[in-house]
Amino acid sequence: MDLTVEKLAKMIDHTVLKADTKRSKVKEICGEAKTYGFYAVCLNSVHIAYAAELLADSDVKICSVVGFPLGSMTSTSKAFEAKEAVTNGAHEIDMVMNVGALRDGNTDFVRSDIEAVVAASGDAHVKVILETGLLIDEQKVEACLICKEAGAHFVKTSTGFGPMGATPHDVRLMRETVGSSMGVKAAGGISTFKDAWRVIEAGADRIGASAGVAIVEDFRWAQYSDSWMEPDKPCWTCPSRKASMAKQPKEVYLWYKQRCVTCEHRDDNVFYD
Amino acid sequence: MSEGISHSYSDAQILYVSLTTGEIRKETIPDDLYRNYLGGRGLGVKILYDRLPPSIDPLSPDNLLIFSVGPSTATSVPTAGRFTVVTKSPQTGTVFDSHCGGYFGAQLRRAGYAAIVFEGKSQRPVYLWIHDDLVELRDASEVWGHDTAKATDMLLDLTDSKAQVSCIGPAGENLVRMAAIINDKHRAAGRGGVGAVMGSKHLKAVVVRGTKTVAVADKERLSEVVTRSRRLIKKNAVTNKSLPVYGTAVLVNIINEYGMLPTHNFQEGTFNDAEGVSGEKLLERLSVRTYNCFGCPIGCGRISRVHGKEVGGPEYETIWSFGPECGINDLEWITEANHQCNLLGLDTISVGSTIGCAMELTERGNLDSSLRFGDTTGLIKVIEDIAYRRGLGSDLADGSRRLAEKYGAPELAMHVKGLEIPAYDPRGAQGHALGYATSNRGGCHLRSYLIGPEILANPVLLDRDKTTGKADLVILYQNLSAAMDSMVVCRFTNFAWTPDMYAELLSAGTGLDITGKEFLEIGERIYNLERLFNNREGFTTEDDKLPARFSQPLPEGNSRNRVSHSDELLPEYYRLRGWDENGRPTKATLDRLNLCT
Repeated sequence: MDLTVEKLAKMIDHTVLKADTKRSKVKEICGEAKTYGFYAVCLNSVHIAYAAELLADSDVKICSVVGFPLGSMTSTSKAFEAKEAVTNGAHEIDMVMNVGALRDGNTDFVRSDIEAVVAASGDAHVKVILETGLLIDEQKVEACLICKEAGAHFVKTSTGFGPMGATPHDVRLMRETVGSSMGVKAAGGISTFKDAWRVIEAGADRIGASAGVAIVEDFRWAQYSDSWMEPDKPCWTCPSRKASMAKQPKEVYLWYKQRCVTCEHRDDNVFYD
Repeated sequence: MSEGISHSYSDAQILYVSLTTGEIRKETIPDDLYRNYLGGRGLGVKILYDRLPPSIDPLSPDNLLIFSVGPSTATSVPTAGRFTVVTKSPQTGTVFDSHCGGYFGAQLRRAGYAAIVFEGKSQRPVYLWIHDDLVELRDASEVWGHDTAKATDMLLDLTDSKAQVSCIGPAGENLVRMAAIINDKHRAAGRGGVGAVMGSKHLKAVVVRGTKTVAVADKERLSEVVTRSRRLIKKNAVTNKSLPVYGTAVLVNIINEYGMLPTHNFQEGTFNDAEGVSGEKLLERLSVRTYNCFGCPIGCGRISRVHGKEVGGPEYETIWSFGPECGINDLEWITEANHQCNLLGLDTISVGSTIGCAMELTERGNLDSSLRFGDTTGLIKVIEDIAYRRGLGSDLADGSRRLAEKYGAPELAMHVKGLEIPAYDPRGAQGHALGYATSNRGGCHLRSYLIGPEILANPVLLDRDKTTGKADLVILYQNLSAAMDSMVVCRFTNFAWTPDMYAELLSAGTGLDITGKEFLEIGERIYNLERLFNNREGFTTEDDKLPARFSQPLPEGNSRNRVSHSDELLPEYYRLRGWDENGRPTKATLDRLNLCT
């Protein structure tokens, strides 16, 4: 893969979405985004106006999350939040899909929910967070197709607050489903340059991470050894390893774990690797 | 590198002090020496290699003892207050560099010096007093015999209360092969018996007061790079959270969880009472405040309160050596033992590991002693006996290798090249194991700290059981460490910085315009020169081996059933190093690195 520090930076949405985020933190990450040439900063909607002020003289884009992190508010409220964020300076909207509705099989609601935000966002690109850790593969494929039909521009794996986070498996599946006409954003648990490398290789063209600076700076290590990119044990990046009974619906959890039973790498699933 | 360099370090001087004649002379650093070896470890190793005849007794007047600092010392570069001690080790017989934090290094540089080279032996105890341009050997008869804390106070009274003291305690005076040099009462150039070399020369202390300003080549550029480098330290979880909050003791629970916390002299890898001696417990029970060395934004040092007094430490390695290694779960006692070692001037890693070895020798019937795993009874007295070479302490004072050989079970000494292996069982991390085996100074965790990628996911997590690619990374880390030690900055910056950052800081500070690759090449040159030194002393591929115990599977814990594969990795390591099958650098390698021997 022909990846440079600069190219990697241009794929990153530099992110801070925590409840305890202070304005000083927003200022810090906006400054870092300019320094490192990140594609965008990704913030809660309350911080968008401030970020727009800070980034007025730069080409760093501003991305606002909407309906975050649960996605279970009304479509009207999501659309209102998106519209206000765009008015305040957001160039992109990362909305959370209504996961419960999808699990209910209520695809019309899921679609209209997304359409409402797309319509409210005007020229701003809309990314739809599927929260893949709450879904089985069949549902992820279904969700991707709905997003495409609803006019979204990107599908995105995770909020970072749900189970599992981004995995190369999910990114690959999403890319295969949406094709090249949509973007795929990997987010959630991407903290090292190797994490980033894996999801890019799987088809991601955008990365959401709070560790953007470390990812880019540490990528400089790659020039000094090829050993960093040695393949990992298959289980390390497999969503089935990351599945958690405490964080996932039981049937979703069991779906993931059932895959282990028939997995060709079952013998690699060794004790405390 | 560019021509026509202009750097502040070039006018720093090397002090040559003959302890035999009392003659003191000053020389500037030859330009090629500075360009090729920077300072600190590299400078010391080069001087030692050029001047020391092969096969000399490390405790004889023939040995040299070199204190050195680097081109970053006392500048605004984070953590640049350290100093290095280079000598031929009485513990290993190898070239040896031992490093120390605190504030001594910064004062030495501010006094105008890059290094002090001690030659010969004084007839009577002396200390060296440096106050900027004033340099004089002074009588230390009154100070000789005192512990490091008392000696420090006395020397500050005799000189300047704002000076810094690096001194030996009774252990160094009594030529204990595990004797350390202590600065600021609890910072240690701990390993390899550098304190014994100092004692053998009747040199009690070096006291320095430096008041000059250290200039840098490009103040504005350095300020910008330093700002970025500090930000990276603040953005890194290890340097901004783990180390400042818990100190290095944060590793106790982590390494134990991986089943790599050597327990009962490396017989097991899990200590049942690890929680009781963890960094978390240290914070809750004993910590009073943190201790930052000169210019350090991390602050991994601890000041603890134990038995009514404030003492330095303990660090992770010390907690391990007096704790799990000896089966001891008493954190207060461990802290007290650490303090005792600081007072006596002892390396806590080697002392604890040697006691652990003696406990196993006793358990197996080779040694008749009262030492028992898990029993602290009389152990403080044993530590004192080591420092004064009394009774069994005299045997222990020579380290685990000589102890185990004497009592007929050399396989029970957990060492490489005579230096006790520290607190990570090599069976749990294949790259780290190879690092132990090939370390130029013996069993050392710092030459190539692959615990970073293999356990701590820094900069990325690598499969700890895998051997593919590990030789390459061990070499990368060894070269980087050698260059960092010559710059001179703290190893912990390595969690947050890449070679590019070191090169940028060095370039801005000195005017040497180098890249990360060139920085690593300096490290490679130093590493190869050290190897040449050791080859000249008779070290061979046979010395790049781990104890046989590590070929036996760990019996329990989260590294169970694992063995070290370092032997299998050696041929690849030699090939990538450009060494022949006997572990000697080839002519092509020497030519490439401009190492004309």
